[in-house]
Amino acid sequence: MGWLVRRFVLVLVAAIAIWCVWIDYKIRRDFSALQWALPARLYARPVELYAGAHLSAADLTDTLQRLGYREANQVNEPGEYNANSSRVRLWTRGFSFWDGEEPSVYVDVDFLGRRVNSLRGNEATGELALARLEPVEIAQINPDTGEDRVPLALSDVPEHLVNAVIAVEDQRFYNHFGVDPIGIARAFVTNVRAGSIVQGGSTLTQQLIKNLYLTEEQTLRRKIEEALMALALELHFSKDEILGAYLNEIFLGQDGNRAIHGFALAAEHYFGRPLDELELDELALLAGLPRGASFYHRRRNPERATDRRNVVLAQMMNQGFITQQQMEQAQAQELSVSARPTQRGSGYPAFMDLVRNDLSRDYDADALQTEGLRIFTTLDLRVQTTMEAALGDAVAAVEVPDGPDRPAGDPLEAAMVITDASTGDIRAVAGSRRPGYTGFNRALRAVRPIGSLVKPAVVLTALESGDFTLASILSDAPVTIALDGGDSWSPRNYDNQMYGDVYLYDSLQRSLNLATVDMGMKVGVADVVETLRELGLESNPPPFPSVLLGSVNMSPLNVAQMYQTLASNGFRSPLRAVEAVTTGTGERLARYGIETQQVADPADMFLLEWAMQGVFERGTARNMINRLDSNLPLAGKTGTTNDLRDSWFAGYGSDLVGVVWLGHDDNRETGLTGSSGALRVWTDIMGRLDIQPRQSFAPSDIVFQRVAEQPVRSGGGPDCSNAVMLPFRAGQLPDPATRCDNTDTLIDRVRNLNP
Amino acid sequence: MMTRISVLLLLSLLSACANYSGPSRPGAPVSTSEPASVRDAAEPVAPAQEAARSFPVQVPPQRVDIPAQPETAPPPEPVPETPRERAAPAGTPASTLLASVDQAIADGDLERAAAVSERALRISPRDAYLWYRLASIRYQQQRYGEAEGFARRALSFAGNDGDLSREINNLLGQISQR
Repeated sequence: MGWLVRRFVLVLVAAIAIWCVWIDYKIRRDFSALQWALPARLYARPVELYAGAHLSAADLTDTLQRLGYREANQVNEPGEYNANSSRVRLWTRGFSFWDGEEPSVYVDVDFLGRRVNSLRGNEATGELALARLEPVEIAQINPDTGEDRVPLALSDVPEHLVNAVIAVEDQRFYNHFGVDPIGIARAFVTNVRAGSIVQGGSTLTQQLIKNLYLTEEQTLRRKIEEALMALALELHFSKDEILGAYLNEIFLGQDGNRAIHGFALAAEHYFGRPLDELELDELALLAGLPRGASFYHRRRNPERATDRRNVVLAQMMNQGFITQQQMEQAQAQELSVSARPTQRGSGYPAFMDLVRNDLSRDYDADALQTEGLRIFTTLDLRVQTTMEAALGDAVAAVEVPDGPDRPAGDPLEAAMVITDASTGDIRAVAGSRRPGYTGFNRALRAVRPIGSLVKPAVVLTALESGDFTLASILSDAPVTIALDGGDSWSPRNYDNQMYGDVYLYDSLQRSLNLATVDMGMKVGVADVVETLRELGLESNPPPFPSVLLGSVNMSPLNVAQMYQTLASNGFRSPLRAVEAVTTGTGERLARYGIETQQVADPADMFLLEWAMQGVFERGTARNMINRLDSNLPLAGKTGTTNDLRDSWFAGYGSDLVGVVWLGHDDNRETGLTGSSGALRVWTDIMGRLDIQPRQSFAPSDIVFQRVAEQPVRSGGGPDCSNAVMLPFRAGQLPDPATRCDNTDTLIDRVRNLNP
Repeated sequence: MMTRISVLLLLSLLSACANYSGPSRPGAPVSTSEPASVRDAAEPVAPAQEAARSFPVQVPPQRVDIPAQPETAPPPEPVPETPRERAAPAGTPASTLLASVDQAIADGDLERAAAVSERALRISPRDAYLWYRLASIRYQQQRYGEAEGFARRALSFAGNDGDLSREINNLLGQISQR
């Protein structure tokens, strides 16, 4: 019998020994390789401050609030600002950008209307030409666990916070071996005296183990295992390593489906500011959270949160970490409320869609979810928020209500893309009329016929052929074109009228279909398709004559690419949403630079631009001329498709390109033309953005000549009483029948007589 | 554990890829075919066509010589009364950023130099000299296709700045020999 017991004990001891060895091995293995899965963070383009920057005091203040800057009477340290309507003083925090370190500086910004007038530093910074704010974090790509954290080295954690955590969670932390019987006893006594639980019995080490292994089980076996693990952890790792891990690991709150872990992220989440900018009372509040992040939530339970904070402060004083005066001052503070809840997650779903598209070429989902990558995007928050604030109402204002003649169905939908006119950076995107809509992204996926948006490509092809000038006379008359297979095609003008002989520039500005077909058939549909592809068309449509009137399907994003090429005078730059990717510590992994390729001759582009500016001045967009008074000249084109199913407008200034599409998901009629629908929405939003006038400079081979107001093909000389001034390529002047200037040289005359 | 190892592997792979077209690849033909030109300090700078500059940078193009071999010949410190000093008074965004471009080139980090040039172009999108600068950097990186695009864009903004146009055309000539 004794033999049996002895044998049993022996086996038990051996089993326990093996268990201990296994636990020891597991702890050493897991903890030394401890690396959290970190979400990728996406940043908007940072705000640049310099004299002349397109930014108002309100814009800047808005950005500072997003960045969690604190308004102060005196700007004494990073993260503070002071603003009025024409002046903002601030102290930037500095940021480790992928193209260099941005220092933390004091800046005094003086505004003049919607522009920065001047920039001044202080004695420390001296003269200041340029300052860059930290980028606003717009979204993140979370790990499947939903855990989010911002890992921080122990040396970067404020001393008050460390002291507060130790005071309230484990005051004998530096003296125990992972488990603390004395601490348990003391906590018991303290709690009995206080009548509630103010101190915990388990050590920080035990809490860390509990968090790392995510065990909710409260069995005796788990408790013993936890204690053994805590002992093993203490055996192999230093107190600082354990404390550092604890401060980063501990769960401190829930934000939707995102779990807030660690104090650095908690500071951002609860206060919108980095940990090192928080005051004693705020740090004490955070230190009280591990006991019950939801129970002590300061927005939901402000009284409980205040009580808890004050208990933490009292414990700190009792243990000599702070003076009584410090405690009383901190306890007297109001529970601070951050200016606005931090905006994260799916803030800009349509833009995020483009970012994911771009990134999926180089990164798999796992890398994005776990490696803590920093992704620097081209999103311009001023442009994006202005557009989002106005789009819904602007669409509602043009929407034609369903009536007897219009069947009910899906509501009118919208998509908008705004890019940088020069670089092709995507500055704002809407995939729906509702901001923040996470469903079907029409900017990327509503691939629709573009209607008359195609016409600039037809004109460019004609100009490039050398056979056409802006004053070439086209025939806006009925035509029937025989198609392959015995069919025929008889296009009509939008208003079913015919205008006879018209100048080329006039046909574009008034968007005349018959004249365009006349020109397009002469230059060849295949050449027009080729031009479209040079401008940025991604598909390769068969060269049917209907291409000339826009039976080419494109997404709003692809249209933006095409018009970006026009806006930059024939230089195509691929649209981009991501500029660079770095590791969490700022090391550059990838960069997506600007690219540009010349696809059209500058003189041809100048002529086309001249005609397209006329769309606003006297063409299909002239009804907006009063609302865009201070922004003109601008260039653009309306687009309407068969039966008014799609309403398009694409237009550009010197700084921005904007494309608006309106239509129904079920492809019903909208009752809108490009001019009565998309143009109005475009004007509303681009006007708010203060789109800048075009600046076009005539290349040296451009000359201006007057032509008769009415196009005449021949006869007794042109009627020059109301002549129109048009640009021409030198050596390719207007037909003598319409020309009103005779300033050309003899050589030009000879050339024109024998073309 | 395995995932952690694979994450590490992936990270190192990524950084290896990122370093692939690194700035200081050996064998870059920098000695003979550089687009940079050395300007006589006494030679006046022809102002660019005013209209071709965008608000707010109203300065003529700054001349900054690109060192043929950054490792051995760092760019000279700007001295008062050089054309560059007169062209770009200290304290404009462009001059500040161009100094960073110089620094990046001196550090051998051409990709950073390109990035800072792009940052300057966002502020002054019609500045021919900045486009030319970017073209020169891409040329040094042997990314000739991109260099050509930027050079042509520079030319389209150069207006009646004959000197700059000549330099750009020189660069285009060198690119076409590649």
